[in-house]
Amino acid sequence: MKYASVYFEDVKVGDEIPSLVKGPIEQIQLTRYAGASGDFNPIHQDDEFARAAGMGGVFAHGMLSMGFVAQAVTDWAGAGRVRKVGVRFAALVRLKDVVTCRGRVVGTSQKDGVNLVELDIWAENGKGEKVVTGKATVALPSRE
Amino acid sequence: MAINTSLIGKEYPPFVVTVERGKIKEFARAIGDLNPFYLDDRLGQASEWGDIIAPPTFATTFRDETADTTVVLRELGTDISRVLHGEQEFELARPIQPGHTYVCRTRILDIYEKTGRSGRMAFVVRETAITDRQSEIVGTMRHITVIRL
Repeated sequence: MKYASVYFEDVKVGDEIPSLVKGPIEQIQLTRYAGASGDFNPIHQDDEFARAAGMGGVFAHGMLSMGFVAQAVTDWAGAGRVRKVGVRFAALVRLKDVVTCRGRVVGTSQKDGVNLVELDIWAENGKGEKVVTGKATVALPSRE
Repeated sequence: MAINTSLIGKEYPPFVVTVERGKIKEFARAIGDLNPFYLDDRLGQASEWGDIIAPPTFATTFRDETADTTVVLRELGTDISRVLHGEQEFELARPIQPGHTYVCRTRILDIYEKTGRSGRMAFVVRETAITDRQSEIVGTMRHITVIRL
């Protein structure tokens, strides 16, 4: 049940969510993401442009990596459960990079009848360097 | 070059977005996220939301040529080749859905300079409030753009 939602009562601080492996990143995915998102910065498409800009070549949209870590959260918590997701882009993701997304529960609370779970989330490249770090808050259903 | 901080507090003209069903699916597939709640109309109709929903980062597609990054960069006297995405946050009261119309209001919260490992950089902090047609808040996006000076 890959897309089953988790229940609030079954979550405790320290739990890790299943890791999600994305990539290797290919140029066609960056082109596709540009079209889907509307971010046509040539730095993600045109290697010559990216080199001239001093970036050493094309790199992935930060927002694509954010989409990956958000997917790791929704694969675990269920679609539509995310109340907040915020990240810092810590390092560039390059072509051929494999991105592994992870998360850990850091807090649980109940507010106005809503069950909230807070997570640290991050993504690593193949060398184990963090490319994205951040936090997410999800609202989970209760067992009835 | 010193960064122009006179834009702090600037509000851009509101813009309106009506979300297309196909755009949600295109966006989910571009990420490689094949969650059926984003893609399967029938499942969506039977769900608590009554239709498919968008992935949490979908509001990044809410762009308008009067308020997008290119405009801000022009006003700051720089261009897209100098820019990196620093941070991004989405707060969502409920999921974005197809056929719904949203009003987006962007303003510049802050502009500041820092010197890091790779030299002097400017940080531009923007926030976009997303409301529905009843002016009820649906979400907020916060965006930090980094400009290599």
